[in-house]
Amino acid sequence: MIQMFHVTKNYEGGTPALTDITLKIAKGDFIFITGASGAGKSTLLKIMFGSEPPTEGQIIIDGRNYFKISSGELPLLRRRIGFVFQDFKLIPNKTVFENVALALKVMGVSPREIKNRVLRMLSYVKLQHRANFKPLCLSGGEQQRVAIARALVKEPAIILADEPTGNLDPALSVETIELFKEVNNRGTTVVVATHDKSLIERYGRKTIHLENGRLAG
Amino acid sequence: MGASSNLLYIFTDALRSLRENMVTTALTAVTLGVSLSIFSIFLFVFINLNAAINSWGDRTQIVAYIKDGSEAPDRIRQAVLGIPGVKSVEFVSKEKALKELKDELKGHEAILAGVDANPLPASVEIKVGDLYKNPGAVTAVVDRLRRMDWVEDVQFNRQWIEKVSALLGFVELAAVFMGVFLAAATVFIISNTIRLAVYARKEEIEIMRLVGASNRFIKIPFFIEGVVQGLIGGLVALLIIGAGRYLVAAKIPPYFSFVVEAPLPVPVIIVILIVSGVTMGVAGSLISMAKFLRV
Repeated sequence: MIQMFHVTKNYEGGTPALTDITLKIAKGDFIFITGASGAGKSTLLKIMFGSEPPTEGQIIIDGRNYFKISSGELPLLRRRIGFVFQDFKLIPNKTVFENVALALKVMGVSPREIKNRVLRMLSYVKLQHRANFKPLCLSGGEQQRVAIARALVKEPAIILADEPTGNLDPALSVETIELFKEVNNRGTTVVVATHDKSLIERYGRKTIHLENGRLAG
Repeated sequence: MGASSNLLYIFTDALRSLRENMVTTALTAVTLGVSLSIFSIFLFVFINLNAAINSWGDRTQIVAYIKDGSEAPDRIRQAVLGIPGVKSVEFVSKEKALKELKDELKGHEAILAGVDANPLPASVEIKVGDLYKNPGAVTAVVDRLRRMDWVEDVQFNRQWIEKVSALLGFVELAAVFMGVFLAAATVFIISNTIRLAVYARKEEIEIMRLVGASNRFIKIPFFIEGVVQGLIGGLVALLIIGAGRYLVAAKIPPYFSFVVEAPLPVPVIIVILIVSGVTMGVAGSLISMAKFLRV
């Protein structure tokens, strides 16, 4: 599902963020990417998502090579990937409902279907009572769940989540990973970047460990 | 879901976003309107001033007096019209010249009492085209006339031509400088206002890109906003120009009223202002947002 060959990322004037990463994530996998802050977890996810170009290397996502797709095809590929951003990336002047609905609107889903699917998803993440709130009226944990709802509502082939439990208490963290597990059980590939060792130990899933931008262990 | 209903959906959404950003849209539209009206007022005054000075140039007339017993009037007229730069020729016969003189001397007929024969020569009154209303071109026409064998003498007002020509040159030079300055200022103000309005929604555009929105999906609301802003801006400019003209026209002396004349038919001005407003609104909006589409 995700293949990376000798991927290196250097930021201008800085130390390399990633060096010579080669990995393969199969369809239906549930993978944790671990490592200390600054190890390159977020960069690795952004490169998988196509929002950061690598300096070197090749990436094949869902059978498509990022270097061979046109800018017009990139949105189509992104619709097959649900990304949960560390900083949520919610539109502040739109309601929770509208933020989640956006993922379906861009795909051209009918208004009636959008309403059904968004309300179902909000109830799935236990936020149906917050549908008409603006993101800034919600707690960090609630905003996190809106971001998760937006990523899941389009039933993507791949979920990429960057520290999705970073703002949650231990109980909610477990609930969130359970959500991903359920989605994964239905065949979605899930990649979660986290530095929360307790979660990794609890779930005992495959892990990719990064140290200073290199694969370790 | 069909493409047309999807498009309709995008349009309804765009109109809703327009309502949400009403204050920014209104401010941008008014800035656009004010800038557009300042430039248009300058343009109108310049066009009117230029036309007025050009019409003074219509007094640039050359008179060629014809030797008695010369060629037939038609051949003379044809010969003069053959000179480059000549726009019109009017033949004044000896009889007509005498009649005009008598008309001018009405009440003093005694002056002409002892004159039996007609002492006045026939003449042709010549006007040159707009491009030839400068001292060099008029002198060239006069030289050509003087070489014609039926010409007795040629008269023209060299000083007048020189003054009108110098004034036109100055007005045109001043207009180019002011026009370039005002046009640059107008484009600068409009593009920056729109850029700021778009910049305020940078995050929204980026997020839309990240959730898989196509460029068309993102651009359509900005396109519609650009059209609406431009439309309102054009109407604001129209209102300012109309009201300004009404207020100024009542207060300026009649001999200066040409300055506030509409240089083009009013419907044409309306169309030009609205089209300029919409073009600037749409171009400004789409150009400003383009760099946020590279996420």
